[in-house]
Amino acid sequence: MLFNSLDFAIFLPIVFILYWLLKKQLKAQNFLIAVASYIFYGMWDWRFLFLILFSTVVDYTMGLCIEKSAEKSKKKIFLWISILVNLGFLGYFKYSNFFLENFIGAFQFFGQEVNFRGLDIVLPVGISFYTFQTLSYTIDAYRKKLKPTKDFIAFTAFVSFFPQLVAGPIERATHLLPQFYKKRKFDYSLAVDGMRQILWGLFKKVVIADNCAQFANQIFNNSGDYSGSTLVLGAVFFTFQIYGDFSGYSDIAIGTSRLFGFDLMRNFAFPYFSRDIAEFWRRWHISLSTWFRDYLYIPLGGSRGGMWMKVRNTFIIFLVSGFWHGANWTFVVWGGLNALYFLPLLLQNKNRNHIEVVAYNKNLPSLKELLSMGSTFVLTVFAWIFFRAENLGQALSYIKGIFHRSLFKIPSIIEDCEHVLLLLIFFLVIEWLGRKNQFAIAVFNAKFTRPLRWVFYSLLILIMALYMVTEETPFIYFQF
Amino acid sequence: MKKFIINTIKFLFFASVFYVLGLFAFGYFLTPSFLKGNINYKQGGYGHLYTRLKEAKTFQDVDLLFLGSSHTYRGFDNRIFTKGGYSSFNLGSSAQTSIQTNILLKRYLDLLHPKLVVYEVYPGTFSSDGVESSLDLMSNDSMDFSDLSMALEINNLKVYNTLFYDLLREKLLTNTFVEDKNKELDTYISGGFVSKEMKYNSSPHKYKNLSRSWELKDIQFSEFEKNLEMLKKANIHFIFVYAPVTSNLYESYKNNQEFDVKMNAYAEKYHTSYINFNGKLKLNDSLHFYDAHHLNQQGVEIFNTSFIDSLKKIDLNSEFNDALDVI
Repeated sequence: MLFNSLDFAIFLPIVFILYWLLKKQLKAQNFLIAVASYIFYGMWDWRFLFLILFSTVVDYTMGLCIEKSAEKSKKKIFLWISILVNLGFLGYFKYSNFFLENFIGAFQFFGQEVNFRGLDIVLPVGISFYTFQTLSYTIDAYRKKLKPTKDFIAFTAFVSFFPQLVAGPIERATHLLPQFYKKRKFDYSLAVDGMRQILWGLFKKVVIADNCAQFANQIFNNSGDYSGSTLVLGAVFFTFQIYGDFSGYSDIAIGTSRLFGFDLMRNFAFPYFSRDIAEFWRRWHISLSTWFRDYLYIPLGGSRGGMWMKVRNTFIIFLVSGFWHGANWTFVVWGGLNALYFLPLLLQNKNRNHIEVVAYNKNLPSLKELLSMGSTFVLTVFAWIFFRAENLGQALSYIKGIFHRSLFKIPSIIEDCEHVLLLLIFFLVIEWLGRKNQFAIAVFNAKFTRPLRWVFYSLLILIMALYMVTEETPFIYFQF
Repeated sequence: MKKFIINTIKFLFFASVFYVLGLFAFGYFLTPSFLKGNINYKQGGYGHLYTRLKEAKTFQDVDLLFLGSSHTYRGFDNRIFTKGGYSSFNLGSSAQTSIQTNILLKRYLDLLHPKLVVYEVYPGTFSSDGVESSLDLMSNDSMDFSDLSMALEINNLKVYNTLFYDLLREKLLTNTFVEDKNKELDTYISGGFVSKEMKYNSSPHKYKNLSRSWELKDIQFSEFEKNLEMLKKANIHFIFVYAPVTSNLYESYKNNQEFDVKMNAYAEKYHTSYINFNGKLKLNDSLHFYDAHHLNQQGVEIFNTSFIDSLKKIDLNSEFNDALDVI
């Protein structure tokens, strides 16, 4: 089920009302969440529910085994069973064809002829997300950061929690699981805030992302036909598409969770207002970056052990993060490119220069801030070309197409996309005004009276009705 | 919780009123068309539908009524049929699907009361969602309840927006629109035909070597059948015609036969005829068309003359139950 579908618009109020009717029965509420989540996921493909259920049973059991085992070596075995099962599924469904193709390619490179037909594997939606979430459970149980649960229903609800099941935020068990044990009380202001965040997330998805997608797809799919300037515009459109799409999904997920009394971690913090790449990565897909920090970077030694170790570990994190996004070398190059952007800051120890939000006590940025934001944005846009391209060849020819004398021509599609450019300006102004908040339109909560707020929210709905793309479009991150 | 639900309902009511009024303001005051987004209201758009429907109200008891897409209003020239001894009216509209045909029949069938309906069938309209043609129809005809049922059937935001906008326009404004009979190379001919200034198809090979399939939609066939039942109930004969398109366009689809089989089955069920004119006439992709879909005047002459020859075999005054599969 998609958040931007009529099905979800019917599903959510029904689950919401049933849930709060059960307010005094915690177990029943958790059971309802688990059932609703399985329906939510099953409407895409019910067969893969068995995969989630299997993963849930394995991690639940391993968690208890880890707790019961007295010896560390046994604990370690149980942890590895969980890791192997989860990563085994992920590897099989997501990476089998990639590895097979590359092995065959390597054989062919050395003159060996191999007959190969790709495996016909359907990638289960959201597998990369819920796999990492359940892994955080067994790893933290092993590290004694949390006490494994005996409540199977709560654990099932935690693994399959529908707002964030298919595209995150990737929650830490230490943060989300305890919320399933606590009695939830309906909180009016939390629920209203959730509705606001859902509204803003929907706006980002159906207006910004989907409109940008139309032009980004058109330009990337026919890149040979366009001028350098149009190709730049295509990359910029993709930059906003992916942000609107993914952060929009996260906003809807967080907002929906609030309606049920849950607090999910923040996933985006206005990344395109970053002044350097390090700041960008503290603001982009925060739940994944911090997952890799906690479960990969730190175990690898983190920043201990001198500069060489720091550099090595940073590169590993970026490359693995790229590969996590998909079984394609384009994602690996995208990760590597970001590592290269990061490197000078790391070497000069300037990777924590910008912690506060830009222009914190001002309305507008200084010229220096503007230039830093602009240069970071350009680097990001360039890297997204690899992320969007079908393969490395297409990415390289796209880039070659940009650096052509037609770069200085007016983009040929400018007249067709004028409305999208205006929508982007409107969007950026709102994002800028709300940059100190959890999500942009939260800023109006304090500044506007209720009638004005309602006018503004209604205006957002009207803009959605006027400019949303009428075909239902899935979220990009579903494929990861 | 109670407060939350009450406030949500209040807000939804407020937002609905704001949406309808905002829609009107956007549609009416924002002149640049690129800003109108999902309101697609265009009086007197492509195809002269506004004039055609206005004129339909002045015609009565015709021999032939043509229904279908632009292949109809650009393919059946009323003047040629008049010469052939048939009075006619052309109720075609751009990309008209069976959903819109249904509304047109409800509104105009009793008035026009034809002896024979020539139902132009094109697989493209059977594969369409019907959005484009419903917007055309809403913008160019007065509204009634059937517009709402059409919008619900198509279930597309553009259609809903245009419906609300059109409703407000009709209620709040006086319609002073007058459509010019001559637009660029098009001239509206009394009876519904749109004549194009003589032109040849400059890209006859446009669809050469393409291989694709029609994705025929069940909903269009069920609406099609509803229309046939309506005609049958009114005791009006009908036949199905697949008007000619360029051979390259026609052959670029692999499943033409599937469509023919379906249409022949309908023809058999209703004891009538289905004539696919593609490949039947000596038409040249360049000389007899002005684009891949539409015949030029020379092509129209050939097509209509051939069709009239077929019509001569039919007794239009016979009862519905008498078979029309004589062609």
